[in-house]
Amino acid sequence: MGLKNEYVGSGSHVLEADGIRVAFDGRQILASIYLRVQTGQIVGLLGRNGSGKSTLLQAIFGARAVPDASVRVDGRRVVPAFQTPGLLNYLPQAPLLPAGLTLRRAARLLGVDPLAASAGFPELPAQLDCHLGELSGGSARLWQVLLLLHANTAFSLFDEPFTGIMPVHVEALGAALQQARQRKGLLLTDHRYAELLPLCDVVYLLQQGRLLQLGPNFRDELVEYGYLLA
Amino acid sequence: MAVWGTRLRGIWLFYREVAPVLLLISAALLLVMQLPAMMQVAGLHEEKASGLSAGLLLAKLLSGLAVWYLASEMRPQRYWFYYNLGLSRAWLWGGVAVLDGSLFIAAAQVIARLWA
Repeated sequence: MGLKNEYVGSGSHVLEADGIRVAFDGRQILASIYLRVQTGQIVGLLGRNGSGKSTLLQAIFGARAVPDASVRVDGRRVVPAFQTPGLLNYLPQAPLLPAGLTLRRAARLLGVDPLAASAGFPELPAQLDCHLGELSGGSARLWQVLLLLHANTAFSLFDEPFTGIMPVHVEALGAALQQARQRKGLLLTDHRYAELLPLCDVVYLLQQGRLLQLGPNFRDELVEYGYLLA
Repeated sequence: MAVWGTRLRGIWLFYREVAPVLLLISAALLLVMQLPAMMQVAGLHEEKASGLSAGLLLAKLLSGLAVWYLASEMRPQRYWFYYNLGLSRAWLWGGVAVLDGSLFIAAAQVIARLWA
């Protein structure tokens, strides 16, 4: 296993995933998948509850072992992807940080400057010596997104990054995501489509195990597929 | 080097999370196995501490496997942070086995020398 970080600051990269097949209790959750994210893109992944969005992100990240899964960066197979230094990180729906870890120490381990990460959120720096459990749900979520967003990885996969975050912070977070896309590729899934869609360059809809890439008129197609009301 | 440094710090952090349970089990095992030697009264009942016996090692190994299983089943979400440091479960628990096993063996040797 090579431990040289060869992805950060080395131009544009393409992350591709296919061959991911997952079934639970005989029900096929993921079957026909091809997903592509490249540096400079924000890619949105939408789907109904239980459609397999989190499972797909975890399979790409490599935490969920899926036989025959192919995850490639610049055409090179990287499975499990999370073990490749500097390649990608993943924000789960569950709390990310160990209970005994302060935000300052977590930032140090992740190689992030916490003050730079929280720029644009004036109340956050005062929380640096807190543990995640001492913060409100929204602040805790915001910190976790910011730490991974500012970590030196070529790609970030975020599972419901906006959950619990108040509107004014969602707007500022949107700006931070736009800024981060200049140096990495982002794959986001969230049910807050009104906040998510304006950020996205590409939108995928996970529907009955199939991953559909939507055209430029995301909203119309989302209505057509029954994800949004007309 | 920086990547290795981060990973080693991650393994140490993970060990500190599970150490209280593992150290408690180690102390209980050592106490139970070496109690006869530690309770000896000169001239009446003399017994030497046995040091590392196969039974002691087996008990430690089985208790370690039980901790690994319960930790993985009860709090699977605890691994996410470590995955983001590039550490798999095998690396984390391998590190725990090395650290905890070394401490346990060292403690058993110290007890054996003290009550030899």
